[in-house]
Amino acid sequence: MSAATTAAGVQVEDLTKTYYPSPGWMKLLVRSNIKQPVYALDGIGFQVNPGEICAVVGPNGAGKTTTFRILIGLTSSTTGSARVMGYDCESESIKVRRLVGWMPAEDRSLIMRLSCAENLHFHGRLNGMSGEDLSRRIRDTLAKVGIAHAADSSVFALSAGMRARLQLARALLHDPKVLILDEPTGSVDPVASHELLNLIIETVEEQGLACLISSHRLEEIEALHSHAILLDRGQIRYDGDLDTLRGDLDRPSIEIEFASVDDAGRAAQEIKNPGLGESVRLDGTLLSCVLAPGVTIGRVLVALEPLNDRVVHLREVQTPLRDLLAEMYRRERTDEASP
Amino acid sequence: MTHIAGTGRFRPAAVSAAFLRMDFIEDISYPLSLILKELGTLAPIFISFFIGDLVGEAPEVGDDYFTFATIGLLVSTVLQSALGGFGGALQRAQNRGTFETLLVEPVPWPFLPFFMNLYRILSGFASGILVFLIGLALGANYIMGGIPQLVVLLVLGVFASTAIGVLSASLMVLAKRAQPVLTLYGLAASLLAGAAFSVDQLPQPLQWLSYAIPHTYVINSARSVLMDDPGTFSIPFDTAVIALVVFNILVFGTGMWLFNRALQYARKMGMLSGY
Repeated sequence: MSAATTAAGVQVEDLTKTYYPSPGWMKLLVRSNIKQPVYALDGIGFQVNPGEICAVVGPNGAGKTTTFRILIGLTSSTTGSARVMGYDCESESIKVRRLVGWMPAEDRSLIMRLSCAENLHFHGRLNGMSGEDLSRRIRDTLAKVGIAHAADSSVFALSAGMRARLQLARALLHDPKVLILDEPTGSVDPVASHELLNLIIETVEEQGLACLISSHRLEEIEALHSHAILLDRGQIRYDGDLDTLRGDLDRPSIEIEFASVDDAGRAAQEIKNPGLGESVRLDGTLLSCVLAPGVTIGRVLVALEPLNDRVVHLREVQTPLRDLLAEMYRRERTDEASP
Repeated sequence: MTHIAGTGRFRPAAVSAAFLRMDFIEDISYPLSLILKELGTLAPIFISFFIGDLVGEAPEVGDDYFTFATIGLLVSTVLQSALGGFGGALQRAQNRGTFETLLVEPVPWPFLPFFMNLYRILSGFASGILVFLIGLALGANYIMGGIPQLVVLLVLGVFASTAIGVLSASLMVLAKRAQPVLTLYGLAASLLAGAAFSVDQLPQPLQWLSYAIPHTYVINSARSVLMDDPGTFSIPFDTAVIALVVFNILVFGTGMWLFNRALQYARKMGMLSGY
């Protein structure tokens, strides 16, 4: 049986990448701003299986794009291995490129003067497709991503959302086994981005693809409900699902609006005194409270029972994923700094 | 037949057709630019026509300057397209951001220079044919029986020019802007190869230098097969073919190897996408 039929979609083991300063002779050709070695990846390892979406999240310079570029052959690793469907990304790059659908972060990668169909035709021919099979695939793929009506429109005339869809169509055209999407919604408005992500989720499920996706929009990553890898300074800080991460780090928060400022003040005391709240904040009649570990909302309500008829409004507040990640990175860095 | 992922074989003919189609669509998207480019190629024919009147009968140019000059112009037009085609295509792709997308396609990297240059080569041949026909219309005296040999010389010359273009492009992958190297070579070739005058008009050291340039063999051998009297300096067809074949073997192989090495080095240094 071939590697492509037996292996994990993507398998990365102990991968490192160091960008070194250019040697002296290179400075004559082009100036570089790398003065010291940059350790972009520091021994990362993960696996993405067919039918699985893996979101790669991290601040700028975390190593997301470097990881993707190693997988598609645009840069080489310093040590370690990266495999796609069992094929080594370094020594079997052409086989890997046949199996991967890549959507780069920039829509400049499309050929602007060509129509949507012509862009796909060019890509299809380079992937060994031809004739009626190629024409049918172009029609089907454009229809799938919802831009069949724009098949003959030049790319330069498309909106950012349509370009993103065309890029996704190009990534899907040759029936890949692995999708690598580098910030696919980067230049797209929130509604179009939501639709695009739904399309990606649906396609991955339908075709059983292994999908790696990066995004700066954390609410999108959370909406994927997928496997997530949190990268920071070239290292994996978390590898698992975001719901579990939230369970580990999140403290339930509530906001209660009272009938008067006095009521809110009394309620704050009721919560603070028995140590129910990790932090309690008052803003006029509004009381905001992050619950202490192990404390449930029910316990808070019991403590506030004498004031229940003064409550105007109550709601649970979910900590933004952004704050959770910031908290996680802060803890990691504190741990590293401590002896 | 239905496509199955990962089974798409590398088909050079299909890939060539895809690149030709893409470049053609791009080219005709800018009609005025296309027309002006062709006019720029054709203007020197008329200049040569009037210079021919001025020069009259000179033994250095076989007593027929117009025929002598249009052959130089025809060959230069074809070879210059091949010379600068890949560098230009590479620079455009780097500027536009499409180069990385090409590198991610399942096409072996050493073949990219050929595919990216193909349209320019063919359009250079088309311009060359136009130069030939306008020359004929204005009274140039070509030996029609020499056309097959001319085609052989042009094909070998195109390979040689592409090889030099690939060498320059190898530098461009790393230096990002290396067109001046090619421009300098193009100027040197125009001067030393004797496109507009006989090579033996040059000082002796420059004449020796002209033997290092493939253009010299193609232009001066083309005159020997297309003119009854090619003037005081010509290169026999057989000699030119041998020189060009040796040049191509040495330089084309080196160029493709260097280009692949440059890409691999840029890949390692993480500078493929930088510009």
